[in-house]
Amino acid sequence: MIDTAVALSPGRNLGGRDLPDGLLAVRAAEGDEEAFAVLVQRHGRPLLDLARCMLGNPQDAEEAVQDAFVSAWRRLPEYRHSAEFHTWMHRITVNRCLTMRHRRPPPLSLDTVAEPAATDAWGQPARSAEQKAATAALVRALGELDTGQRLCWILREVQGLSYKQISHVTRSSEQAVRGRLFRARRSLQEAMGPWR
Amino acid sequence: MAVDESHAPPPESLGADGTGPKPGAADVPSFADDVVTPCGRLLSRIWEQARDTAQAADPHISSCPHCREAAEGLSAVTAASQALRTGDRPGLEALADRVMNIVRAEVRLGRLLPLADPDRALRIAESAAAKVLRQAADRVPGARAAACRFVPVGDGVDLRVTMTLAAALDRPLPDRIHQVRRSVLRSAGQDLGLAVTAVDITVVDVLEQEPPCRPGLTPGGA
Repeated sequence: MIDTAVALSPGRNLGGRDLPDGLLAVRAAEGDEEAFAVLVQRHGRPLLDLARCMLGNPQDAEEAVQDAFVSAWRRLPEYRHSAEFHTWMHRITVNRCLTMRHRRPPPLSLDTVAEPAATDAWGQPARSAEQKAATAALVRALGELDTGQRLCWILREVQGLSYKQISHVTRSSEQAVRGRLFRARRSLQEAMGPWR
Repeated sequence: MAVDESHAPPPESLGADGTGPKPGAADVPSFADDVVTPCGRLLSRIWEQARDTAQAADPHISSCPHCREAAEGLSAVTAASQALRTGDRPGLEALADRVMNIVRAEVRLGRLLPLADPDRALRIAESAAAKVLRQAADRVPGARAAACRFVPVGDGVDLRVTMTLAAALDRPLPDRIHQVRRSVLRSAGQDLGLAVTAVDITVVDVLEQEPPCRPGLTPGGA
């Protein structure tokens, strides 16, 4: 059980930075905050990327990921390791994002995208106007996708997850994942036509 | 919409990362709305191959003008999505701090365990005791503790520890488990003052062998 073995560093950091997720999750479930802090550091960045793409802005993304981690901490004592921690955490974050999207309108309207800014919706320094416009158009097109398609596309193209991992996160077959990914690509291709 | 099998051999695999289709599963359109190019390839498959660039599963796709055009159709999406993957991102630190502040405020002590003190007036939180005993187990090279629970024995202050462990296999397990048990017993008595009568250890995971720079370990991989 638990997950794949990891090499132990010669320094043997007793804080647990060299430990596999499964072992850290067991410790965290028993109230070990340090173990949980390692998990937050290890998984926070990709989950933030995921939430930013799902929600369209960094502020909401931070809120979603913060809520997801706090929820995970509370639910860890009941976490049965039937899914890898990585997958479980992705699911919690996705659900949090979906709840937040229901609660508020999509944050990126045409107006906000067109506004010039020192940093764009992704917190990046200004790039060329055309690149920025293309990225904004992609974000807008993503926001118009069916939720399942958007999620599969983000998990594959931004997170780099394999079809198998995506199927675990979304609790669907790999075939269904491939179908959603194809439809997402086709819709995005149409939306991005003017940028070819 | 079907495709001529002989004209459209399935790519056997798109690579070792599990993203490729299963062999034999690619002969017919996977989804009702897939599109077949004039040369008989599935648009979905062309795009998959274009995006999983490390592999050249179907050499036809890179040489055929129809397929190339179909793959290039995705180029604007690919270029724009680059910014979503590689852009500078705000730091994780502030977020991690906020999460951990909330976590630390939600104290999860667990049961209170009696210390081996004559008046039986002293107690320690199970979570705190477990943390100390896990550290004792971790001090044994090639061992890492996972779960650590306490079971009362009788009516007094005696306790039994049940611990799960990840262990390397470069040495016989019984030796290592014995060492862990000794370390845990010593720490329970000396550091905590708990009356631990037994330590039950279950190995639940295997750790890769430690790098050769640690003295006393065999160099080389597992």
